Amino acid sequence: MKLFSRSLLTLGLSLLICSKAAFAVQAQPVPIPEDPSVSPQINISGVGLGTVGYDKNGEVQSGKGNVNFSDSALQIGGAQKLYEGGGVGSFGMGWLTIDESNKGTTSPFFLHQAFLDYQDEKYEALVGRSDNLNAHLVDFPTLRGDDLITLTNPLNPFSNGKNVEEHRYANVAAFTLNQNLKYFENIHAQHLINSADPNADTGLNSFGVTFQYLGAPGLESFERLPSWGFGYERINVNSKSSSGVNQAILGGIVNLNESVVNRLELGLQNIYTWGSDLRSFSTITDTFEADSNAVAASIRYLHTPFGRPAYQVSLTTGYKNYSKVSDANSYGVALTGVKRLGHGFDVVAQYQGQWRTSTLSTAQSQGLGYEQRAEIGFAFNFDATFNEHIALRRTLLNQQHHYISD
Amino acid sequence: MSEKQKDQDLSRRDFMSIATAGSAALGAGLILGQPQTAFAAPAASKSAGHAAIPPGWANAFQPAATAPLYPPRQAPKMGEKIHEFDIELGISIHEIVPGIKIHAFTYNGTYPGPEIRVPEGDWVLVNFTNRTSEFHTIHWHGIILANEMDGVPNGTQWGVGPNQTFKYLFRAQPAGTHFYHCHNMTNLHVQAGMFGSLIIEPKEDLVQRVFPYKREYTLLLSEVDTVMVEKQMEEMLRMMTTMEKMNESPKLMKEMNGRMMGWFMNKKAFLDAVKAGYIPPYVAANTGRNAIPNFNFFLINGKAYPMTEELFIRSGENIRVRLIGAGAMPHYMHLHGHDFWHVCQDGSPLQSPVRLNTIPIFPGTTSDIIIQGTNPGMWHFHDHSDLASTNNGLFPGGMMTMVMYEDAAEHGVKVPEIVQVNS
Ligand SMILES: [Cu+2]
Repeated sequence: MKLFSRSLLTLGLSLLICSKAAFAVQAQPVPIPEDPSVSPQINISGVGLGTVGYDKNGEVQSGKGNVNFSDSALQIGGAQKLYEGGGVGSFGMGWLTIDESNKGTTSPFFLHQAFLDYQDEKYEALVGRSDNLNAHLVDFPTLRGDDLITLTNPLNPFSNGKNVEEHRYANVAAFTLNQNLKYFENIHAQHLINSADPNADTGLNSFGVTFQYLGAPGLESFERLPSWGFGYERINVNSKSSSGVNQAILGGIVNLNESVVNRLELGLQNIYTWGSDLRSFSTITDTFEADSNAVAASIRYLHTPFGRPAYQVSLTTGYKNYSKVSDANSYGVALTGVKRLGHGFDVVAQYQGQWRTSTLSTAQSQGLGYEQRAEIGFAFNFDATFNEHIALRRTLLNQQHHYISD
Repeated sequence: MSEKQKDQDLSRRDFMSIATAGSAALGAGLILGQPQTAFAAPAASKSAGHAAIPPGWANAFQPAATAPLYPPRQAPKMGEKIHEFDIELGISIHEIVPGIKIHAFTYNGTYPGPEIRVPEGDWVLVNFTNRTSEFHTIHWHGIILANEMDGVPNGTQWGVGPNQTFKYLFRAQPAGTHFYHCHNMTNLHVQAGMFGSLIIEPKEDLVQRVFPYKREYTLLLSEVDTVMVEKQMEEMLRMMTTMEKMNESPKLMKEMNGRMMGWFMNKKAFLDAVKAGYIPPYVAANTGRNAIPNFNFFLINGKAYPMTEELFIRSGENIRVRLIGAGAMPHYMHLHGHDFWHVCQDGSPLQSPVRLNTIPIFPGTTSDIIIQGTNPGMWHFHDHSDLASTNNGLFPGGMMTMVMYEDAAEHGVKVPEIVQVNS
């Protein structure tokens, strides 16, 4: 979910910090006995999101009401300061509710985080289920992370389309190098979740690199480009297209108004996909693979009088076309409003619409040329740290006054 | 003549009768009044045979005794000595013990800041330059000075802003052991290292006279919550960098409108801001920045045991130890194998030395003690509140050091010097 809390927290790769991590119930004995009095830092964070809305889809004459609690998430983490070099080891685990869970037809939770992470001043290594790295380069200010997902995210050509979170999260092994905690170079191998053909063992089916710049934390208002990056992903899809798929992604945030009280920023992203031989769609999975270009832009206004967020209004738009499949264009728009009622607690409202031409709507939305939804509800973000003893990593102190390696 | 005045006269005569050191001592005694007579009184009752006059406080009492020796609002005159010091504040990394470092606010790069030592009555000029983005001051704790030089931000002065220099000028008085510290967000800034000792040497050192000594040690006692310091310094750095950027831009300055920091010109401005939508921080649940510190390291001169500095002594030697309560907690300094003399409190000599083996040092107080070299060995000297004898909760550590006899071996003491970091 994408409220202004996101802008106040770290972005993108820097999410992979200890505060995100979790603490394990020890199912296995550890090989070396440890001092039980040394307890880890524990973090519990959550996002609650509940809305009541009205859907109107394509040719369906009368719309219908809905209650939606998807994209609510709970994460727990444990982190421990390591012996040398300012290293921190952590474990994180998290679950979020998916669209299907609104209908009660499947398991309500999707495991979106289950990772181990090592980091020190210069390096970070992560293994486990976590963010699909190139899917989080720019976080658009829609209500839910999966709103307009086919326009704003690189897509997983192994997904059967039932659970959109399969585009955003993957089984990841990643290594990140940084310079002064500002420039991050990441190389990774991923297993994109294969729900389209669960019997096929695709193993590590995606390899990529990501570069990201993150400006001085807390001072985003004063930088023209507080965050930007690009990435490349090579996906080994062998079933239909012989050559595999390539995704190139470029995006960032442009600060339009140097202001602490009236923040105005532009989000921009382009995703270019090539290398697939698909010239028509037979399944929804094909729409995730075929050569395409998707451009997305958002404008976000955040009003922060007296140093405290009050409300946010944002408009997110996206357009996508397929280069080898005709009559398969789509565009979407989301107008989102958030008003903060108290610390972490917001009232939220959103209108979103997506339009697809016939070839695409046949494959992707059961023939529905458009889907529209208006909704209103509440959101709550919280983040609590217990037994705190690990300082944050990407701080002004560490950037400007030497990193503390002990 | 009232009875009280008569008592004073008598006590003064007592003083004169034993103050055989000459007219210089007499002069100082007359001016300083209470402290010197205080020292003299008990001796007088023993030696001079004024058995009818009870010794002590009642005799020594002089209502005007805390009045400053020099009028605090005077300016330096021709021929008066001025000691000038440059103190620059920056952010440095300070190591408490191996493996534990914090970002610290440091006066001239050290935690604690440099010791300032001047003769009583001379002038002190401190050019204080702030090289951080936050606001700071120097408060001269225990010094009787002009109100404007007291170093209380938004009180006696505006906080010294980034790259500003403030000149503190005051006359060194009263004599004795004092200290200085930042008075802006004192809890955080003192934990972050903004304190140091200020020693004003008296014209006539009574302690020296009674307990001749050559070596002395100053121990600044404080404590730190390393997690809180790191977190809040980061918060402050973000906020104050924001403020700096706003100050540089007329447009942003308009936005700030004096309200970003929770500072208001008066009560009305505060109430107006609340009407306009300002939510005071105490309205929301307070965790994090307003949390009560959970001190995890206890420091002597910025270091925790075993990295604290030892006190050296020889048999038969007196050493003077100046103990300064620079932090937020009381500490109960206990010396093994010895009694010692408590001779001065908050700078001034006591009426008579007090024999102790444990001395409480409360926040903001200073106590001078004399340790006499009477029992050769390697002796522990530590806060007897055991909470403070720990590093990150583990004993031993924290506010502890050793009194080391340099001639211990000569006296047959074979206790080895052991550095212990875990029980
Ligand atoms: Cu300060």
